[in-house]
Amino acid sequence: MTETLKKESSEKVDYNIDFVTTSAISKISLKFLVFYLPILWISGYMTVAVFFDISRYIPWYINMFLIPIWLFILYFIFVFGIAIFTKAFILIINMIHLPKEGVFRAEEGDRDYEFWRLRVELKKLVLWFMNNGPLPWIVMWAFRWLNVRIDFSSHLQDAWVDGEFIEFGRNITVGQGAVVMSSMIVGNYLIIKKIILGDHTVVGGVSNISPGTLMGKESVIGAFSTTIPNQIIEAGWIYLGQYARKLKPNKYAEQRRDIIYRKHVDEEIKYEVQQEVNIDEDKKSLLNNHVEEE
Amino acid sequence: MSVPSSLNVGPTTTLYLVKKRYLLFYIFLIWISIFSVQFEFWWYWNLLYEWKFIHFLFFLPFIIFLIYLTAILVSLFFTKLFLIIVNLLHKPREGVFLRDSSDKDFRYWSLRSTIKRWPIWLAHKFPFPFMDNICLKLFGIKTKFANSLFEGFIDTEFIEFGKNVVVGQSAIIQSAVIVGNLFIIRKTIIEDNVVIGAHSVVMPGTHMKKNSILAGSSLTTVGQEVAENWVYLGAPAKKYKPNVFFEDGLEDIIRVQGMEESKIFEKVEDFYTVRRDKEAKNN
Repeated sequence: MTETLKKESSEKVDYNIDFVTTSAISKISLKFLVFYLPILWISGYMTVAVFFDISRYIPWYINMFLIPIWLFILYFIFVFGIAIFTKAFILIINMIHLPKEGVFRAEEGDRDYEFWRLRVELKKLVLWFMNNGPLPWIVMWAFRWLNVRIDFSSHLQDAWVDGEFIEFGRNITVGQGAVVMSSMIVGNYLIIKKIILGDHTVVGGVSNISPGTLMGKESVIGAFSTTIPNQIIEAGWIYLGQYARKLKPNKYAEQRRDIIYRKHVDEEIKYEVQQEVNIDEDKKSLLNNHVEEE
Repeated sequence: MSVPSSLNVGPTTTLYLVKKRYLLFYIFLIWISIFSVQFEFWWYWNLLYEWKFIHFLFFLPFIIFLIYLTAILVSLFFTKLFLIIVNLLHKPREGVFLRDSSDKDFRYWSLRSTIKRWPIWLAHKFPFPFMDNICLKLFGIKTKFANSLFEGFIDTEFIEFGKNVVVGQSAIIQSAVIVGNLFIIRKTIIEDNVVIGAHSVVMPGTHMKKNSILAGSSLTTVGQEVAENWVYLGAPAKKYKPNVFFEDGLEDIIRVQGMEESKIFEKVEDFYTVRRDKEAKNN
């Protein structure tokens, strides 16, 4: 099969991976339920036990009033229970086989591949339950709990973000439906490579960030764009396109919030404009003072 | 690994023709599945609550899981029943139809998707994808249980999957599409070892042959044939390079790959954009 291909192309065979596929788990097997069921069972048991142990001593008419609070508390016990027990399983699994970057065979029998699948399914359990919750910061907590460093001012709960081999800076934003993947399946191979997103970076909606991407400080990737594996996004630049390339320097990051620049297109004059601030009359003096000081 | 909270991914059934009388199906299916829930819980309560409270507590999470499963299975059973009856009245078929409520095929397609909606929504509310695959199999999609169909949006009829198929995050696989005033149903066939990249769209009638790859953010046209052993890219998807990644012993080559970005940009540019100056030269 491959030999005929070589003859057809007759040129040097192109082994470069310069396209993006997916980091979705490539094979599902029912044996993952062996991990799912105990985790769900133990955390469910915790929840149930807390409820019945305490509520038995409270009269039913008071319990009726407390139902909303009960639901809230039980939900969190359940979700955090899942997080704790999954982490326990992951620690054990990582002791058996340390996760590492590299290129591996994507077929059953390869140790790295099998353990990658296992980790993906286990981490998904936590991130799924956290993501389906009503509170945004709980997702950040889940990432931190799974040893991905991220701060609480970041925003990534509307995107597909892998839970390993990612380094986040401070205050990053990942847009709706964007896919940030540190692993990728191409043909027979599984590629795992670390992604680094610097401070104050923005990833636009519906874009693909492929394994090995390096994003510098204050860089922006526009909506519906794709980065090649191992691409380097320079700090302070806006990138856009299918395959993302330099569009313009990211000046918006430097600007003060109350002053914007306007550009006269015909004469190419650039001037500052003070932004109208919707504020009470008696407080406007405060605003002007602030500008003068600088 | 994480799934966006604001997107309801999973197998989809498009709701296009919304009619009030379709509510009856929803109400019946939801009612019957909740009926099974309360019946089971009542049985379990009677069995253990007074007798052995500790056992009641211990098995409760497991029983809740079982109750969830039976709720899906019961609603699936009745959905299948409805589908058989509806398909007896009017057999689903491929073709090009009018997008209008006077068109019988369009009407019945909407009816079918309405019926399928509740069980598949319920089945997707669990992070493990096996219930999804059961649902899809019952609705008449040929698929293997090991296929990863959880992260994208997949239509629920007229699709055939081979072995080892991976569907990327937020990829859309359609067998029915609405174009202007037309409504097209065509069978989509996806063969063994196919990888569909993130954010790509597979239109109805696409035939993806063995070992092919559709790269991320690309789009196939209606009725496109994707050749064996090729990587496709672009919108609409074109041949990009032969898929040599099934060969053995490429680990070292892939690991040390250096990228020459400018070359790749030149190569890829034609796939996504039409450059006016180049076109003028050719003409």
